Amino acid sequence: MSEVQSFGALQRFRLMAILCGVNLLLLIFAYMPAKHIFHLVDTHQWMVFIPVAHGYLYIVYILTALQIGVQKRMSLPVILALVAAGTLPFASFIAERRIVKKYS
Amino acid sequence: MTSKLKKLGQGFLVLLLTFSFIALGIWQLHRAQDMRSAASTPVDTRVYPLTDIASATGSIPPASIGKMVSTSGHYIANFKAPNQIDGSGKVNDWEVALLQNDTDTAILVVRGLWRDRLLSPDIVMSTNVSLTGTLLPHQNDDRAENTPQQLSRLDSSLLTGVTDMQLFDGFILEENESTRAGATVRPRISPPVLTSGVPGFYWQHISYVVIWWLMALVILWLPFYGRRNRIKP
Repeated sequence: MSEVQSFGALQRFRLMAILCGVNLLLLIFAYMPAKHIFHLVDTHQWMVFIPVAHGYLYIVYILTALQIGVQKRMSLPVILALVAAGTLPFASFIAERRIVKKYS
Repeated sequence: MTSKLKKLGQGFLVLLLTFSFIALGIWQLHRAQDMRSAASTPVDTRVYPLTDIASATGSIPPASIGKMVSTSGHYIANFKAPNQIDGSGKVNDWEVALLQNDTDTAILVVRGLWRDRLLSPDIVMSTNVSLTGTLLPHQNDDRAENTPQQLSRLDSSLLTGVTDMQLFDGFILEENESTRAGATVRPRISPPVLTSGVPGFYWQHISYVVIWWLMALVILWLPFYGRRNRIKP
């Protein structure tokens, strides 16, 4: 595995971890209260992009996590933890920091 | 022997997880299909007598929701329903009346905007009214405080303590109303767009289908990955 390919996989993982993390925070702390507490989604239809984007960003996040996991020959629990980090608030930011610290 | 048992256990676990993820993907696919089929259901313009498609003793059958119904009776109470959203997304306070449509049954009727309630002063409790409108399910979420004069949501269960009548589940969003004196003219509320009741959006559920099936593939691939890592330390 060349250094360039490895660097590219790391950058892709970083990008997706940040995008997925920001989208998850928007989903939990903006969209959910807007929908269930303030009932704003009916009148602000543009907000539906948040939950829809969440699904697709997470798919790409899983792929980048698998790629970096295979390239760096991580153990199975670490790969599974990386995949799961995309579903928990703030966890993808923590995963991104740890991976960058260890492999860059 | 122990190693064989361990491999069998791992194989069983992998298959169990794979089938579980595939099943979850199929479940999400069905939810997505439910949303699409609800959106493509043709509009039924027939007007049904209320008691033909709903009863005061149970919840509204799903097939009756969104149907045009007709009924008649006397208004016995009037309420304000604040912060209601109509079909065009406008938020307003609505006037809601309780219509006694038989000796011991009643149903909530949305008559129009609260600010227009004085447009038909001739309708009093003794006036017999006939009306048609859209039958809709009760609301679950409060939009205001519940008081004797106002309803926090359009839900007849809020009135069970104040009347002995059997109350229909749900409410009628009135389209027209008439008395012996003629039709009551006042602006009506546009009905909301009915959804399948499944939360979320079509493309959101499709993305979850992809995620669950991707997870199933990952689970199937993990034992091979583990073996490769053991072979090439």
